[in-house]
Amino acid sequence: MKPPIFIIIMLTVISGTMIVLTTSHWLMVWIGLEMNLLAIIPILMKKHNPRATEAATKYFLTQATASMLLMMGIIINLLHSGQWAMSKNLNPMASAMMTAALAMKLGLAPFHFWVPEVTQGISMSSGLILLTWQKIAPLSVLYQISPTINPDLLLTMATMSIAIGGWGGLNQTQLRKIMAYSSIAHMGWMTAIMAYSPTMMILNLMIYITMTLATFMLFMHNSTTTVSSLSQTWNKTPLVTLLILTLMMSLGGLPPLSGFIPKWMIIQELTKNEMIMMPTLLAMTALLNLYFYMRLTYTTTLTMFPSSNNMKMKWRFEHTKKMIFLPPLIVISTMLLPLTPMLSIL
Amino acid sequence: MLKIIIPTAMLMPMTWLSKPNMIWINSTIYSLLISLISLSYLNQLGDNSLNFSLLFFSDPLSAPLLVLTTWLLPLMLMASQSHLSKETLTRKKLYITMLTTLQLLLIMTFTATELIMFYILFEATLIPTLIIITRWGNQTERLNAGLYFLFYTLMGSLPLLVALLYIQNTTGTLNFLIIQYWAKPISTTWSNIFLWLACMMAFMVKMPLYGLHLWLPKAHVEAPIAGSMVLAAVLLKLGGYGMMRITILLNPTTNQMAYPFMMLSLWGMVMTSSVCLRQTDLKSLIAYSSVSHMALVIVAVLIQTPWSYMGATALMIAHGLTSSMLFCLANSNYERVHSRTMILARGLQTILPLMAAWWLLASLANLALPPTINLIGELFVVMASFSWSNMTIILMGTNIIITALYTLYMLITTQRGKHTHHIKNINPSFTRENALMTLHLLPLLLLSLNPKTVLGPIY
Repeated sequence: MKPPIFIIIMLTVISGTMIVLTTSHWLMVWIGLEMNLLAIIPILMKKHNPRATEAATKYFLTQATASMLLMMGIIINLLHSGQWAMSKNLNPMASAMMTAALAMKLGLAPFHFWVPEVTQGISMSSGLILLTWQKIAPLSVLYQISPTINPDLLLTMATMSIAIGGWGGLNQTQLRKIMAYSSIAHMGWMTAIMAYSPTMMILNLMIYITMTLATFMLFMHNSTTTVSSLSQTWNKTPLVTLLILTLMMSLGGLPPLSGFIPKWMIIQELTKNEMIMMPTLLAMTALLNLYFYMRLTYTTTLTMFPSSNNMKMKWRFEHTKKMIFLPPLIVISTMLLPLTPMLSIL
Repeated sequence: MLKIIIPTAMLMPMTWLSKPNMIWINSTIYSLLISLISLSYLNQLGDNSLNFSLLFFSDPLSAPLLVLTTWLLPLMLMASQSHLSKETLTRKKLYITMLTTLQLLLIMTFTATELIMFYILFEATLIPTLIIITRWGNQTERLNAGLYFLFYTLMGSLPLLVALLYIQNTTGTLNFLIIQYWAKPISTTWSNIFLWLACMMAFMVKMPLYGLHLWLPKAHVEAPIAGSMVLAAVLLKLGGYGMMRITILLNPTTNQMAYPFMMLSLWGMVMTSSVCLRQTDLKSLIAYSSVSHMALVIVAVLIQTPWSYMGATALMIAHGLTSSMLFCLANSNYERVHSRTMILARGLQTILPLMAAWWLLASLANLALPPTINLIGELFVVMASFSWSNMTIILMGTNIIITALYTLYMLITTQRGKHTHHIKNINPSFTRENALMTLHLLPLLLLSLNPKTVLGPIY
C-alpha cells in the first residue's frame, strides 16, 4: 500500500486508541473504538487474497456487533444516570452489556472464535497489530469500569479463556494460530485479576505486549509462518533459535523470565482475596500453553528437525527488514524479573 | 555470599573469552577454587545460622549441600570433556555456560532466605537442566524425558506457589529465619490438608516419591553425564532440602498426613530396589537406586525426629557423592563401548584394574558399608523409623539386603568373571577419569572421619 495512505491509516488507528484512552465521555469512547475498527480493516487487507478478505470481514462483523452492544450499554447508562461522563457508578445492566461487548472485542471466551481465523488470514505484521495494539483500547475501558463488573462474570470468562487458549493451541502447526490462542489465554489471565487489582492487568498487558512483539518480530525476521519452517532457523540464524527458546519459556510463564512476573503477581492478588482453588486451577491450565510453546522450542532450538536435504541449504538472503527495537524488546521480555519490586510505581 | 555468586557468574564470560585449548582448564580450575571458598561456610557457630544479608543465609543444613553443589561443578566439567570433544567450540562453550548457569541458580537456591525466592530459583533450575538433557542427550527418547521432567515438576510446584503466597498473607512473612519462630500449629481441617498437600507435593515429585517417580529413570538415562551427575547429586536434594524447610510450617498436620506418603515411600523403597535387580541398562539401575535412597530420605523427613533429620542430611550428602560417582563410572563404560547394557562389557577388572578399584569402593559406599556416611545416614533413618513404628524394620531390613544384592550384582556383572572378547581393545583409563573418581571418593571417605559436618542443624 502506498506510503502516504499507510501513514494516514496508521495515524487513524493510533488516534482512535488514543481517543479511547484519554476521554471521559462515553460517546467518544465509542467513536474512538469505531475509528480504530474502520481504520484497521485496510491494514488487515494488505495482501489481496480471499483469505484476507474473509478475515477482514469476520473481524469487521464481530467488532461491529460488539460496538453496537457497547452503544446499547452506553445508552442504558445514559438512561439511568442522565449524563455521559464515565463515572464510577455504572448501572449493572449497562456494565454487563459493556463487559460482554468488550470481551467480544478482546477475543475472550466465549467470544473467542474469531481470533484464530482472523489472525491466520492476515499477514504477520497485521497480526502483530491485531494481537497487541488492538487490545489496549478495550482493556482501558474495562479498567475504568472494573469496580462495577460482576466478578463472577469476569472469572468465568477468564477460566474459559485460559482453558480454551490452552487446549485450542495444542493441535496447531501454523504460528499465527498458535499466537492467537496464546493471546486468548493471556487475555484470560488479565481478566481474572481485573475484579481485584486492575493494576496487575495493566502489568500483564505490558509484559504480554513486549513478549508478543518480540515473538512476532522474530517470526517475521525468519519469514516463517509454520512450525516446520521455523524449525529451519538453525540453518539461517542460529542466534534466533536461542532467542526463540527464551521467549517461548517466557510466554509460558517459567521463572526466572519476565513472563513469570504477571502470573506471580496475579496469583498473589488472587490469594490475597481469599481465592485458593481458582489460581491453582488457572496455573495448572496454563501448563497446556507451556506444552505447545515447548513443542516450538523442541523443533526449533533443541533438536535439528528432520527435513529434506535441500531444506538444509536454504538461500541465506541479507535481512532487509528493520528490526530496530528487537534487542531491547528481548531483554525486557526475558530479564525483567529482578525489577519486580519496582512495580509499585504502577 | 557474593564471594561465591559473582565468581560463578563470572565463569561464563571467562569461558566465552578463553582460548580454544584453555576452556576446560580455566573453568575446571576456577570452579575448584570457588568450591574451596564455599568450604568456609561449613564452620557454623552454635545454634545460629550464618546470616549474610537480607537475601542469603546458610545454616548447618544448607552449608553441606552448598559445598556439594560447588564441588560438583569441576567434576561435571571433567566428566564432560570426552563426549564433547567432537563438538564445535561454540557448542562446548554453550554447554559450559549451561552448567554454570545451573550452578549459579543452585547456589542461590540453597542459600535463599525468602521462600518465594527459593521457589523462583527452584523453578529456574528446570530450564538449564531441560536444555542439557534435551539438547545434548544421545537418544531419541531424550525429548520425551525432557517433557516428563518439566511437566511432572511444574504440576507439583504450581500449587506450592499458591500455598506460599497464602502463608505469606496469613503469617505476614516468608523469611525463613523469622517464620521458624512464628509458625503456629495448624489443625487438621480439610483446607489445611490441601495446604499441606500443596506445600509438599512439589518436593515429593522432586525427590521423587515412589508413585511420581516416572520422570527420573527417563531423565537420568537420557541425560549426558554432567546432566546425570547434577540431577542425581543435587537436584534431588533440592526436594529433600525444601521438605525439611517447609515442614516447620506444617505441624501438627504432618502427623496425620504423613501416613500415605510413608506407605508409598516404604513400599516404593523395596519395589525400586527389587526392580534394580532386573535391569539391563546400567544407568537405569543407578537411577532406580537413587529413587530407593531418596525414599529413605522422605521417610526420615516425614517422621520429624532429631535422629531422622540427622540421618536424612547425612544420607543426602552421601548419596549425592556416591550416585554421582556411579554415574561417572557408568559413563566411563559407555564412552568405551557406546552402550549402556551391562552384560556387554563384562569382566573389566582384568583389563582396567584401577577402575575396578573405584567400582569396588563406589559399590561398597552405595551399600552403606561402615564407616561411610552412607551407613550413618541409613542407620539413623532405620532406627528413627523403628521408634516411630516397630513394623517398619521389616521393610527397612529388606531394603538394606536388596540394596546390597543389586549393588553387588552390578559390581560382579561389570567387573568380575570372564571378559567379553570384544572389549580387548578399549582405551585404558585416562588420568582425568581416575582423578574424577578420586575427587568423588576422597570427600566421602574424609567425611567418615568427621561426620558431624553433615549431620545438619540438629547435631
